[in-house]
Amino acid sequence: MAQIVVKDAAPPIPFTEQYRSMLLGFLSVALFLAAWQAVFLFVPFNPLFISKPTLIAASFYELVTSGELFRELAVSAVPFTYGFSAAVVVGVTVGIVMGWRTRVGYALDPLMTVFYASPLVALAPLVIVFFGVGVSGKAIIIFLLSVFPFIFNAQAGVRAVDWMLIFLFHDPATTEKDLYLKVIFPSVLPYIVAGARIAIGRGLIGVLVAEFFAASEGIGYAIARYGDLFALDKMFACIVAIMIIAVVMTEGIRWAERSAFPWRVGQ
Amino acid sequence: MAYIQGRNVNLTFRPPNRNPVKALSNFDIDVEEGEFLSIVGPSGCGKSTFLNAILGLLRIDSGDLLMSSKPILGPGTDRAMVFQEFGLLPWRTVQDNVALGLELKGVPAETRRNVCRGLIDMVGLTGFEGHYPHELSGGMKQRVGLARALATDPDVLLMDEPFAALDAQTRDIMQAELLRIWQKARKTVLFVTHQIEEAIYLSDRVMVMTKRPGRAKRMFAIGLPRPRDYEMRVTPEFNELKLQIWNELKDEITV
Repeated sequence: MAQIVVKDAAPPIPFTEQYRSMLLGFLSVALFLAAWQAVFLFVPFNPLFISKPTLIAASFYELVTSGELFRELAVSAVPFTYGFSAAVVVGVTVGIVMGWRTRVGYALDPLMTVFYASPLVALAPLVIVFFGVGVSGKAIIIFLLSVFPFIFNAQAGVRAVDWMLIFLFHDPATTEKDLYLKVIFPSVLPYIVAGARIAIGRGLIGVLVAEFFAASEGIGYAIARYGDLFALDKMFACIVAIMIIAVVMTEGIRWAERSAFPWRVGQ
Repeated sequence: MAYIQGRNVNLTFRPPNRNPVKALSNFDIDVEEGEFLSIVGPSGCGKSTFLNAILGLLRIDSGDLLMSSKPILGPGTDRAMVFQEFGLLPWRTVQDNVALGLELKGVPAETRRNVCRGLIDMVGLTGFEGHYPHELSGGMKQRVGLARALATDPDVLLMDEPFAALDAQTRDIMQAELLRIWQKARKTVLFVTHQIEEAIYLSDRVMVMTKRPGRAKRMFAIGLPRPRDYEMRVTPEFNELKLQIWNELKDEITV
């Protein structure tokens, strides 16, 4: 007997199609690691010059379980926190003033652009000479590298404030404070967060560069030392740790942007 | 004396970093209390500039611009603007956008909520209080814009091409909605538009302006009875008015 099948819903989307972008992304990472590993089936493996994923993973595990990785990261986190916090405060302030006061913007724009575009890491040895190998020298290098995205984004944010919204506040009852808190700050905030996404990467470069030049501890120092000792498995394991931190922080900010400023999605 | 009176109003618009533009030249206007008056004119004739002068954001160079026999010297809560691009704060819900004016005036939260509930109901957005502007259609956004402007209970509602960003069908619906709301709220409305049909359908009177620098060219009294309905747009009287207004307007338009 014929059976009547009632199709009341669209057929379920297959798993592979639903998560296609994620699966393809993971696939390329997996293929890259597999190819890296497989290359040494044909090429002689010399641990003094190169490492491979399995050995790196083992070293990573070892560094994590021994607590060494976290010790080094904790050391580097201190100057990073100082430098990055200073970059937020100074960058946002300077950027807002540059955006709000047109003449200040005109005056400082070329100078800031030059600094932003120039390879500031080249100044790292000089900074170390001035401020020493301690936390302050590192923090200043991190600050120098990460302050400019905040300046330029905050400035762009102020310039992009919708003038119509400011008109709404042209009312005798409105105070300057209302204008700042209720229009300007909420308008600029998404730009600052977008700037933070760029600044994180530059700040992490600052950590490594500062610790390459002069340091006796920290994750950058660990990478340099393991390199010098030809302990490449451990060196790569430390680099992987930095990579993971960078991805988590950048993606975390991206996620925060999406959930905190949903009206900006797609802009 | 008329409620809003403009005599020999001259106004030069001075945009930052650009050459000043003479926007209004010896502009005369009389707006009666409670009337719906539309202004049509070619692009750039100074009609939006005039609304901003009434709002108190632009100072006139010379002449008289009076409201209730007093010169307009700056912004005030007796006037409110509805913008073409809605002007909503994207980080605020419908409720909080509508409440903005009251909040700035320091009205207590409880009163704000009650006033907003009534207005949101009036513009037909009940159930959307917690939505954000990006979750609304263009027509709904302008309903919020209208409710927000009405929240401080202004005497005059200034509308600067409020439906120009909407599609044609939404626009027709919003025009009918505006008439319904105006019938209830009974504000003096100054409405700037490019669309002659919209001006006739909504207004008690329609003013045609010359090209820049704008002057009053001719005033048309719209004798159509109220409440108005969509069918009136196809009556001979309506079309006759449309033709007359177009004949006044077309000489001013340069493409």
